[in-house]
Amino acid sequence: MRQRIIFGLVSVWTAYFSMPTLAYACSVCWAGDTGPTADAFNWSVIFLMAAPYTVVGSIAGWLFYTHRRSAAKHEKKEKNETAKGLVHLTWNPKESGR
Amino acid sequence: MVKSSTARRLDEPLVGVEHKQPVFGGGEPPAPPVRPNAPVGSNAALAVAMFLGAEAMFFAGLIGAYIVFRVAAPIWPPPFQPRLPIGVTGVNTLILLASAVTMRWSLRAVRANDRKQLIRLLATTAALGGIFLAIQGFEWIRLIHFGLTVSSSVYGGLFYTLIGFHGLHVLGALIWLLTVFVLTQQGRFSKERHVGLQTCCMYWTFVVGLWPVLYGLIYLY
Repeated sequence: MRQRIIFGLVSVWTAYFSMPTLAYACSVCWAGDTGPTADAFNWSVIFLMAAPYTVVGSIAGWLFYTHRRSAAKHEKKEKNETAKGLVHLTWNPKESGR
Repeated sequence: MVKSSTARRLDEPLVGVEHKQPVFGGGEPPAPPVRPNAPVGSNAALAVAMFLGAEAMFFAGLIGAYIVFRVAAPIWPPPFQPRLPIGVTGVNTLILLASAVTMRWSLRAVRANDRKQLIRLLATTAALGGIFLAIQGFEWIRLIHFGLTVSSSVYGGLFYTLIGFHGLHVLGALIWLLTVFVLTQQGRFSKERHVGLQTCCMYWTFVVGLWPVLYGLIYLY
């Protein structure tokens, strides 16, 4: 068993040093820290980072706007009905005898 | 010394229970008036909004890829590649924006129960969308003739991918719009029930709203 472990470790060690090219930790590390390619990746990342927030924010904003519009329409309808003399029947403390 | 106590024996009867019993004519008040809990929008509209969110993310991915190639390129467009027709496409942009306006007006028409105006506006929108697609197709044929193909360069590949997908979306929106147009002629939509038209309007607005972004990014930047 011990021989097998040593053999495995030596194999990995040999394979690591015999690799023809360097392996990068990420797919875009080859672009470096500066330069046009790095700038391009940075701008793209910023854009894609902002995209979900924009999308979700837009949908939430649309829902909020629709809700506000619906509530305003309902209030207007109620006011019109009251002005026309259409009062909704409801409990009134004076009329209930209390 | 404690004058009165709130404590009571367990076997002691509750004070004033008889007064709390509902009595005919002046008993317990009914529940206070509650504002009707009507939904602010239809489920279909919400589903289309979610779908448009997914569509927006799809285009965001494509635009992200475009930004990588565009910003990294020292010369853009690459040498020996044809220039894109900015003027004609600018006019085409105005046509598409006009179609969004007529589409919004059609929604207003259905809410006003004006069926004739609705049919007229939907036909105008469909015609404007058709003109947009026809001009785009004509420009594509010219560009292919000048040597800009999908495989000619990254420039060509990105152009046809982004603009092509948008064109497909316009085509899909146009098919949807024509379906809505036929349904309108059959009298399926009214002031109270027009969710099919509303969702179509949402999709059309999205497709139109996306185009100026693509035009600015690909044609002008």
